[in-house]
Amino acid sequence: MIVSWNWLKDYVPLKDAPADVVQRLMMAGLNLESTEQLGTDVIIDLEVTSNRPDCLGHIGIAREASVLYGLPLSIPEPTVAATDFSSERITDDLRNYTSVEIQAPDLCPRYVARVIRGAKIKPSPSQMAVRLATIGQNVINNIVDITNYVMMECGQPLHAFDFQKLAGRKIIVRRARAGETLEAIDHKTYTLDGQMCVIADAERPVALAGVMGGASSEVTESTTDILIEAAQFAPLSVRQTARKLKLHSPSSYRFERGTDPEMVDWASRRCCELILKHAGGELVEGVIDVGPPRPERTPIVLRLAQLERILGIEIPAETVRKILSALGCREQAHDAKALTTVPPSWRRDLAREIDLVEEVARIHGYDQIPEDVSVPMTASHRTDDDRLLAKVRHLMTAAGFDEAMTASVVPERWSAAFSPWTSAEPLVTSTPMLEGADRLRRSLIPSLLDVRRINQSLSNPVIELFETARIYLPQAGGLPREQWTLAAVSGQEFLVVKGAVEALLAALHVAEPLALAEYPDPLLTPGLGCRLLLGDQLLGFLGELSPAAHKTFSLRGPTTIVELDLGVLAQRARLATHYKPQSPYPTIARDINLIVAESVRWADIAATVRATAGQDLERLECLDAAYRDPEKDGPGTKRLLFSFTLRPQDRTLTGTEADAVRDAVVAACSERHGSRLLA
Amino acid sequence: MAAQFLADLDALLAEASAAFSAAADGEALEAARIEFLGAAKGRLKAVQKGLGTVAKEDKPAAGKRLNEVKEAIETAFTSAKDRLESAGPAAAGGARFDLTLPGRPLRVGRLHPISQTIDELKDIMGRLGFTPAEGPEIEDERHNFEALNIPLEHPARDPLDNFYLAVAAAGAGTATAPPHQEHAAPLLLRSQTSTVQIRVMERQPPPVRIISLGRVYRPDAADATHYPMFHQMEGLLIDRHATLADLKSVLRMFATGYLGSDVHVRFRPSFFPFTEPSVECDYYWNDRWIEFGGAGMVDPNVLQAVGYDPEEVSGFAFGLGVERLCMRRHGITDIREFYKNDVRFLQQF
Repeated sequence: MIVSWNWLKDYVPLKDAPADVVQRLMMAGLNLESTEQLGTDVIIDLEVTSNRPDCLGHIGIAREASVLYGLPLSIPEPTVAATDFSSERITDDLRNYTSVEIQAPDLCPRYVARVIRGAKIKPSPSQMAVRLATIGQNVINNIVDITNYVMMECGQPLHAFDFQKLAGRKIIVRRARAGETLEAIDHKTYTLDGQMCVIADAERPVALAGVMGGASSEVTESTTDILIEAAQFAPLSVRQTARKLKLHSPSSYRFERGTDPEMVDWASRRCCELILKHAGGELVEGVIDVGPPRPERTPIVLRLAQLERILGIEIPAETVRKILSALGCREQAHDAKALTTVPPSWRRDLAREIDLVEEVARIHGYDQIPEDVSVPMTASHRTDDDRLLAKVRHLMTAAGFDEAMTASVVPERWSAAFSPWTSAEPLVTSTPMLEGADRLRRSLIPSLLDVRRINQSLSNPVIELFETARIYLPQAGGLPREQWTLAAVSGQEFLVVKGAVEALLAALHVAEPLALAEYPDPLLTPGLGCRLLLGDQLLGFLGELSPAAHKTFSLRGPTTIVELDLGVLAQRARLATHYKPQSPYPTIARDINLIVAESVRWADIAATVRATAGQDLERLECLDAAYRDPEKDGPGTKRLLFSFTLRPQDRTLTGTEADAVRDAVVAACSERHGSRLLA
Repeated sequence: MAAQFLADLDALLAEASAAFSAAADGEALEAARIEFLGAAKGRLKAVQKGLGTVAKEDKPAAGKRLNEVKEAIETAFTSAKDRLESAGPAAAGGARFDLTLPGRPLRVGRLHPISQTIDELKDIMGRLGFTPAEGPEIEDERHNFEALNIPLEHPARDPLDNFYLAVAAAGAGTATAPPHQEHAAPLLLRSQTSTVQIRVMERQPPPVRIISLGRVYRPDAADATHYPMFHQMEGLLIDRHATLADLKSVLRMFATGYLGSDVHVRFRPSFFPFTEPSVECDYYWNDRWIEFGGAGMVDPNVLQAVGYDPEEVSGFAFGLGVERLCMRRHGITDIREFYKNDVRFLQQF
């Protein structure tokens, strides 16, 4: 709401400097956006919260100032003298002259019409033009300017029709017919639908109710007779219409927030008064005021004890009563404990006791609320999820990964590129979040691959990224499953990333050994993509990106990806571990170099070693698995060089005992995996 | 002849000591060692031969002296060797080590600045007794609006101001399903973390003292100060006698905890559907008031919506934008930096 300082002073005799008044208003809820000196005037831009449409006119702002400064508020009382038309051929009663029919009372509870004949269209008087220009309102002609002026004065939008251009000289308020069109005064043609409210004449829509007038009945230089509309329109309908048509106006802005029902007739009379004064003409006797009588407002009981209970301070009863009556509440009764009051018509936001508590506090001043009361102590705790997350983040950063944060919504082609957790179609947002991005992601991997691409384009040499976020897995009925997920994308090879996963499982003390199963997916290189399992529970996916995927994501390779279900880790992690005493005895190690068939996997050999070496086994390391010598070892073979370290809890192991373990391991491997010891 | 022998010994000791001390590097020392202590042609060996010329009665004394000198020369050598070794490998004859070579790179990742800010907020609020709570990011209208006292006609519910959700039609490139699934409650991405308030109050009786931190979504066009996804922190305290003064005091303690020195806060009236009275909170820092976030006393309608009795309990809630806080602390001027994830940006924090 843009306020002219000079205009404001028409209603309240402010003596303080504009800056002081603005500060006071701000501390009472009218937030200052800016002030600007313009000639002798000061333009003040105030942010009005959506619950305070009464402050969308100068009178409303003046009322706030008058309450805060204890100054009188003077609202002009419009006087309109109607002309006696009995001597003329035209019927002298407005009711015979025109008619208003409300066919959509839910969208338009009240419509007040007055008619002025013989007005002269010309430029507005200079003070009015200057004031409108000061607050940024286009200056058009005296009639249109007066409707705007009164709106900016009291917050009630008005519309002036060229009466002669209304077919049948009547007003019908109805829903638009689907497909009906209207050329508005911005000279654009809008196609309407059945949910929009229009003002129509006998033939067609002539205005979009509460939003904008139509070009056909616009007041022009040749206009002489004017119908003044002052009405009330349903906020929701006005807002929906304005949004659908992308047609926002000062009028729709006010109707959307709700206007003062008691101000409708005042605004109509004020408008007519100013037209008669500045454009001449004659007012047709009478007024057409359609709509049911407005119900009395329900009185509100304010228990004084509630103020202390909610605000934490006591406010004297006299102060409370004074504040409420200055705001326009009519007190009906009061005693030592409570008062009963009727809120004013312009404050639809005041309907409950708590609303009055807020009003009293606001005017009394929030600076009266202490900032140093003692709040009782309560114990709080870190959640297990937060503990887990801290460990995950520690490990990932220690492993050299930077943490990324990417948008939850991705373009369709990314969504389709990788969805290992579900085959259910993704959820789609009604409007794209970012350019082309409207799919709720089912995996973090595509987002991280794109971040990797951006970083490659920035020539960043090391791009190791991880993210923890939710992915959205639709399920039948109700809310989707939001799976808490960890993903990482690396420029290192498979085993390096697998090592990070193993280190993570170790850091979380996951007892179940990690198992892998091949996972063919177009995103991954065949043979280098796998499911990660803990027992039979799916933990996640790990793999190297396929050449095709590198192309899809415009990436230079190699790239390894991993994605884990943090929920599974949360179930399996042991956040508090038990101490185990360490053996004080020396270790003894043995190396074994085996020739095995290509099909034999390390995991199988390792299981055999563990089973054979038993509880004295402290460490088992694979030293080399890459060496091949088919000529010497035979076709389809590979070598596995590994080392194991033994250390019993309770004694020193002898070399002979260690040799016996080695021989047993060699024998067991030979038996179970057909291996041979390299001679 | 004994006198001559003893004189030779003394001279040898003096010369050897001088030679060892003078050796500037391992090579020189080794040469000196061979000269004096060499097994075959060392000068000690040569002088030692002189013992034969010493008269028999003088032999024990001369032999003792020989041993003393021999030991002294060896000691001199050892100490010269220690001196050179402790002087470093270059002095000992090895290649010179360039101390200015870079250390082996140890790449440690960094946490995202938003994560770091969130951790700090949780830490401060934890000390004030607030325990973190979580809720879904995808919500129904009850939790995102209705229970928060946001009626259907409220502008915040406009479909264009929210990310409503539908299921993509199978196989189709575009969403052809209606905005709301038939027979199912409409879903949307939460527009505020206040939804978590409702979920917590629905499942636990008062007192409540929680914070919720997480992603929220609003269809703003991305620019330097807006992003359609951002993070909020929301605090909620419900108890028998919670007041606006408690709220102000908690926010002051929070600001003091975050800024590290005693700060003052002020309230300006505001409007949020789920609180009444509603305020904007500012804190005074570096001689000016800085916007902090919105707050207020929980609206009785909200308490009622979750089955609490507003006559029995009261409470307050507050919320703030994490990105804004983080940007101010680090002097970041464009919110989009957070979601671009340039490694050079991430490595700054």
